Amino acid sequence: MLREETQDSGDLIQGTLEMLVLKALARGPLHGYAVAEWIHQTSQQLLKVEEGALYPALHRLELRGLLSANWGASENNRRAKFYQLTAEGKKRLNTESSRWARLSAAVAFVMQAT
Amino acid sequence: MSLNLNEFLGRTKSLFRKRRMNREMAEELEFHQSLLRERLVRDGLSQSQARATARRTFGNTARWHERLHELWQFRTLENLFRDITFSIRLLRKTPGFTVIALLTLALGVGANTAVFSLVNSLLLRPLSIPRGDELLVIGMDSDQPNIGYSFPVPFFRGLESKHELFQNLFAFFSTTMQVRGQSANETIPGTLVSADYFTALESPPILGRYLTPEDDRPSGSPEGLAAVISEGFWQSWFNRSPNVIGSRLTIANTAFTVVGVMPKRFIGADPLRRPSIFVPLSTEPIIDAPQDMIKAGTHAWWITVMGRRQNGLTLEQINVALKSISMPIVRDAASDNPSQIKRFEKEHYHFVAESGSRGFTYIRASFRKPLVALFCMCGGILLLACLNLASLLMARGAARERELATRLAMGATRRRLIQQLLIESLLLALAGTAIGLTLAPLVSQSLAVTLLGGAGGDGVHLDTSPDLRVFSFAAAIALFSTGLIGLIPAIHATSGSLNEHIKDGQHAASGHRRNRLQPIMLASEVALALILVVGAGLFATSLVRLFTSGAGFNPKGVVNISLSMDKQPLDGDPLMRLYQQIGEGLSHQPGVSAVSFARIIPLTHFTWDEDHARPGGVSHDLYMNGVGPSYFQAMSIPMYQGRDFRWSDTIPSGRKLIINQSAAHLFFPNQSPIGQHLLRGGKKDDFEIVAVVGDAKYENLRDTPPAAAYVPITQIEDKKPSFNVVVKTAGPIAPLAATARTLTTRLAPDIPAPVLTTMENAVQENISTERVMAMLSVFFACCALLVTGIGLYGTLAYNTSRRTSEIGIRMALGAKRSSVMALVFRSNAVVAAFGLAAGLAAALAASRALSSFLYETSPRDPWIIISAVLSLGIIASVASLYPALRAARIEPIAAIRCE
Repeated sequence: MLREETQDSGDLIQGTLEMLVLKALARGPLHGYAVAEWIHQTSQQLLKVEEGALYPALHRLELRGLLSANWGASENNRRAKFYQLTAEGKKRLNTESSRWARLSAAVAFVMQAT
Repeated sequence: MSLNLNEFLGRTKSLFRKRRMNREMAEELEFHQSLLRERLVRDGLSQSQARATARRTFGNTARWHERLHELWQFRTLENLFRDITFSIRLLRKTPGFTVIALLTLALGVGANTAVFSLVNSLLLRPLSIPRGDELLVIGMDSDQPNIGYSFPVPFFRGLESKHELFQNLFAFFSTTMQVRGQSANETIPGTLVSADYFTALESPPILGRYLTPEDDRPSGSPEGLAAVISEGFWQSWFNRSPNVIGSRLTIANTAFTVVGVMPKRFIGADPLRRPSIFVPLSTEPIIDAPQDMIKAGTHAWWITVMGRRQNGLTLEQINVALKSISMPIVRDAASDNPSQIKRFEKEHYHFVAESGSRGFTYIRASFRKPLVALFCMCGGILLLACLNLASLLMARGAARERELATRLAMGATRRRLIQQLLIESLLLALAGTAIGLTLAPLVSQSLAVTLLGGAGGDGVHLDTSPDLRVFSFAAAIALFSTGLIGLIPAIHATSGSLNEHIKDGQHAASGHRRNRLQPIMLASEVALALILVVGAGLFATSLVRLFTSGAGFNPKGVVNISLSMDKQPLDGDPLMRLYQQIGEGLSHQPGVSAVSFARIIPLTHFTWDEDHARPGGVSHDLYMNGVGPSYFQAMSIPMYQGRDFRWSDTIPSGRKLIINQSAAHLFFPNQSPIGQHLLRGGKKDDFEIVAVVGDAKYENLRDTPPAAAYVPITQIEDKKPSFNVVVKTAGPIAPLAATARTLTTRLAPDIPAPVLTTMENAVQENISTERVMAMLSVFFACCALLVTGIGLYGTLAYNTSRRTSEIGIRMALGAKRSSVMALVFRSNAVVAAFGLAAGLAAALAASRALSSFLYETSPRDPWIIISAVLSLGIIASVASLYPALRAARIEPIAAIRCE
């Protein structure tokens, strides 16, 4: 997912990507390309989501019922698969983001120690 | 992976929408790619460059699909489907094995289920009556070996008033009634029922009402004689007319009024009968006219007594109470029959109550043992089939060791392999079981018909339709057999370490791991087969001896025509003349050599016995029959002394008697009986003996001929007696039936159509149980031999094929072909020997249980046992011969080369 990592191993990394995807969709339904684009833009072009990780993540989330998918028309009137958060997904987003906040705060404490 | 509901549903959906999902995935990826291409073009790349870059970013499309697919697939189910198709393919490659496996299993399962449904319907199924567990059957127990279940009416009346023991008590009697149809009387099965019959059975009618105590009076209720009919009779006789209530039925030439219709599922308290008409017990003198069993009081034992026990009482309490009140009731009811009271006191007669939830039928007692024996045989065959299949599958699994080992090496888990082997065995087991279960109802119905045959006379129906109990039994054996067949081979085949597996296969160095389970299973098979063969031998020999034991008469060509005269107008001399005319008319038929009459047909379970004594001598019981002139000629019974009856032998000319040899030895051991006199016990009638004839079997082919005596039909004192015409003919039988019917229509138009049966049929039906048991046991034994032979052959063939290189090396080192053959042969021989020994021991132990079935055959008959052992030994040898020959023909070079 992050350019530095070439394999999606370790639940933490995988979970982080899924959290980002959930966040991307918090503002409304998007198709896969748009999700990657939004993450790329919003992270100040620091995070580039590889297609090889994005779609498995999207499908995994859909399988688990955190996202629901619909086929609709894109901006240029082409058929695309749009994903949106389910109620379950919104709940998961909240828990994941508070967990992430706690985690990053904890890491910061450790790294600031002399 | 935690399987939550969404995932599960999603995966299941993906199973059915595979193509659509693939399309959508492709579309999704293509969309993304096109957007990516556009952006690259916007960033300045050329079209072709953009396309190439985009494709590079994505990589291999197939890999994409695979990865996404992996997420969605329902792995377990897909594996299952794959295993199933693979197993089917494997099984199709060896059609011989598959067919035999299916057939043996179908046979085992089908036979078991069929016999169980027989057992269920005859022995286990309760009546569909509310609170049926309260029902009791009353019997009479004494020092005699059997309990009697037929009662005289006075005893029933004595028990009827004991309300402290019974909520209600009822009595019934199944019979055939003569109902006037279009032109003549027809015989319809019906039941005479006492006052509380319907109230006790608590089954409401679908039309009208049922019989109540008011109807159970000699002249009926004020509205007349009431009758209740069955739904089937309403359909066949009245065409379901809604005005049936109140319509008239002429039964036994008397008018009855239909007051109600009972639903189809109500069959009364005898599960084997389907009565069409129910009439009150008190109308018996009308129905049975000119006989009157009610008037005969304690001399006529005819009704079955059942009831509901009083609330709060247990069976034991009731029996204790019955024991104490039995003799007082008897003394009161039989006050006009002091000799009977004395006999009852001497032999400790008392009433007993048994559970009546299954109703009562006297057939049950005589068929319990044969059915149980049959059931055990079927169980044996099923076990045999399962063991056979399991060991064959084990052998097959062993032959696939290399394949399995390779799979293990390539990453399959042991669980997956076991699953695949299990699926293969399960497929076989399920298919075989399914075939067996579909055939079972057909088999059980035809078995019921053959087994019961003429046992209960006409109108005996055994309902073998499956109910919950049969289904659960079928499910249980299906589970048992599939489990046995499936698990053992599967677990066994994948045990052992990986390396050993790969190095094994056909390698000579294997010294093949001793499979300990397989020889045990094969030996058990042989033992079971031996038991079945011994059983078959015993039954078959017993049957042959029974059949050839001679009945004392020659049934060939003898035809019996039954005539029911009791409702037609003639009696006395005019009736005798009518009989003579009928006999005359029949004697003119081509091929007829003798025509006579008989009151009782031998071997049809009708009996009549009377005490006789020489004047001043000891009285003995003699079995009786009433016969016309030329009877002994028609039946080919030799007449040793004296003369035959004549039509002129009427009572005024002096009572005559013909006795058989046993009776002669009994009464007149040292002198000729001709001209001597015998007195009949009760009535003190004096009979002059006019002839001595040969002994003949009376009720049963199995029993020795009893001491018997014959009276002329002209001297039978019953009113309007019904006799059977006995015709000895060498010609065709069908014209006889037609002639009989025309004769009776002309001479006695009121009587029901005469029924024609052959004496040979009567003999066959008398031994129908023995015949069926012999047939089935021989059939099962042949199947057992076949299956065991195939099992021995199959396992040996597989095992030998694994040892090809070992054998090749042996031969290359100088072993002779014969010693190789002996080597192969020996493995099976040891198994067979053990099996025979075990089976022999078991057969000797178990055969004692069969001794009650056998006729003049000892259950340890050495000839039978020796031939059984020999036949099984021959089968085992033949089965082992072919693989041994094949082994001997192995070329050493070829064998070693495949190492």
